[in-house]
Amino acid sequence: MGSTGPASPAVNRVPGGRPGHPVAGLARRAVRAPVTGRALRELAFCAIEGPLGLSVLVAVFALPALGLLAALLAGGGAGTAGGHPRGAVTAYGLVFVPLLLSLLVLVPSGARRFAAVHRGLAARLLGEPIPGPPPVRHGRGPARWLAATLRDGPGWRAAAYLLVKLPVAVAELYAVFLAAAGLANLTYPFWWPFFRNHPPGVRLGPVGALTPFGTLWVATFPGTFAVFAAGAAMILASPWLARGASTADRWLIRGMLGPGMLAQRVADLEQARALAVDDSAAILRRLERDLHDGAQVRLATLAMNLGMAKEKLGEDGQVPDPDAVRELLDAAHRGAKDALAELRSLARGIHPAALDNGLADALATLAAGSAIPVDLQAQVPVRPARAIETIGYFCVAELLANAAKHSSATRIEIRVTGRENVLVLEVSDDGTGGADPAEGSGLAGLAQRVAVVDGRLDIVSPPGGPTRITAELPLRVSTS
Amino acid sequence: MTLQVVIAEDAALFRAGLVRLLEDRGHQVCAEVADGDALLDAVARWHPDVAVVDVRMPPTHTDEGLRAALRLRSEHPGTGVLVLSQYIETRYATRLLAGSAAGVGYLLKDRVADVAEFAAALARVAGGGTALDPEVVSQLVRSSSHAAGLATLTTREREVLALMAEGRSNAGIAAALVISAGAVEKHVASIFAKLSLPVSEADNRRVLAVLRYVGA
Repeated sequence: MGSTGPASPAVNRVPGGRPGHPVAGLARRAVRAPVTGRALRELAFCAIEGPLGLSVLVAVFALPALGLLAALLAGGGAGTAGGHPRGAVTAYGLVFVPLLLSLLVLVPSGARRFAAVHRGLAARLLGEPIPGPPPVRHGRGPARWLAATLRDGPGWRAAAYLLVKLPVAVAELYAVFLAAAGLANLTYPFWWPFFRNHPPGVRLGPVGALTPFGTLWVATFPGTFAVFAAGAAMILASPWLARGASTADRWLIRGMLGPGMLAQRVADLEQARALAVDDSAAILRRLERDLHDGAQVRLATLAMNLGMAKEKLGEDGQVPDPDAVRELLDAAHRGAKDALAELRSLARGIHPAALDNGLADALATLAAGSAIPVDLQAQVPVRPARAIETIGYFCVAELLANAAKHSSATRIEIRVTGRENVLVLEVSDDGTGGADPAEGSGLAGLAQRVAVVDGRLDIVSPPGGPTRITAELPLRVSTS
Repeated sequence: MTLQVVIAEDAALFRAGLVRLLEDRGHQVCAEVADGDALLDAVARWHPDVAVVDVRMPPTHTDEGLRAALRLRSEHPGTGVLVLSQYIETRYATRLLAGSAAGVGYLLKDRVADVAEFAAALARVAGGGTALDPEVVSQLVRSSSHAAGLATLTTREREVLALMAEGRSNAGIAAALVISAGAVEKHVASIFAKLSLPVSEADNRRVLAVLRYVGA
């Protein structure tokens, strides 16, 4: 499944496409379908989910019925005592209404428990891990407890799921019926000769076989082949129904038993915030390190050289060793220029000055400095927010550096376009491809940084190339 | 006097400059190394008069130089340790000075630019004296828990105290403040009296006493 959970950044990797299969492949798949692991897991899912889903009916009808029964018993007692038929109704109200109310309180929490079971089944059998909603926050005191319980959105959603699911549960049960009855039908020709070997002239009643179109009555051995054929058809059909029903159920579970859009958004934002905090701390650490090991060392050495030169110049105008002084000053001069160059590149790494004139200018400067020839086309009708421009710039810078390092490309294309509040940056090269965010090429980090502002990174890089990486960023960091 | 020196510094550029500076002044650089373990080996092998140690070195680039320096202090008390750093950390200073201030120094790398003063500090540490960066001293004084006692000092006396803590002699203090040696002696006596420190002739005991007082 190509879905990305909250834990994984928005990377969508499209592998190099496989050649398509003709009709023969389809037929082979249809025959194999019932015995694939996936089909068996889906069938098992249906076998558990079907009865489980229908069992809700028991709760829905049995409890009020129980209430009614209790009321009738109480009313009957009252009826014999007072002979008043209205007593039954009153007693029924006395018992049923409180029961219904207490039931209301139990519904969300009970449904939550059911929901957990359904999510567990989906995770285990369908491979669809769906995070649960956050727990209810009960305040102190019974009144607040009651209010929190009755306002438990996810709990009520779970209850709604249990009801909406009923038709799906029927379909799931039907898929199981197709598989089970189909399997049974397949056996008819095999046992028929052993049990129906009666002498001629004896008439036995026909034997029934269950099919989707009603019961098939067979009285003769050739007839069992019809049953066999029906069974085979049912077996072949059952995985598709099971798949349809379990897929529908999976949608329902994802939509109604998940954490809810708001909670999911909060979880995503919390993760994005953690990434942003980590990222900025890492940037500051790297900056300090670069300064410490680079410019600071150069300047300290420069000061030391100047100190030595000054000492060698002496105090009274006599210079005993002018060559040494010249050499030291040379070294100091070189050191000063190196330190300047280092500080300049560091400053550019923090914020490229060219960005002040817009992304297109900055990218042109960046492209001009690339070792691989770059074809840049940038058309951004609406200027994005500064922060977005900066993120986009560093994205492209990193992708260029990646291409130069790993791709052995001869040509790189950068396309920058804007559409519907989205800035699209596309970097493609004609290199060897095979870029994979899982292999620590910096792509995963890039995807994380893009995800912080709700952007996404698409990577198309089949082995052998070419590579096309697309970053989509919102034009504004916040929509409000 | 020729000193035997071991240098531990991972920045090759700065290390080469240091070697040149020391050799220009007639000292002998026995070994130049780039990490803490190599420093311990080199000192065990050469028994130098003094080791110049950078705080931040591979592999972790945090404080392995300082940790190596602390081991040198306990394992090779005959070798002075002059720690160089681009930052001053009061905690590092207090750890270095714990127990004794003899043969220990802690200077900003910037101080190397004043070649003569740096050479003097190195010689002091090699001879069992102390060399503390003015920055260290001012931080220690600032973080002192005995600020009340320090408050009774005059501005001039504070200056003298700071220079004293750096490890300077009365003559050195007099030169630094451009006052007479007699005036310095008067200030020192006054400081000792105000802080109720025992009067002593040895520079080290003065440093130690001052550092004890400021809470290092």
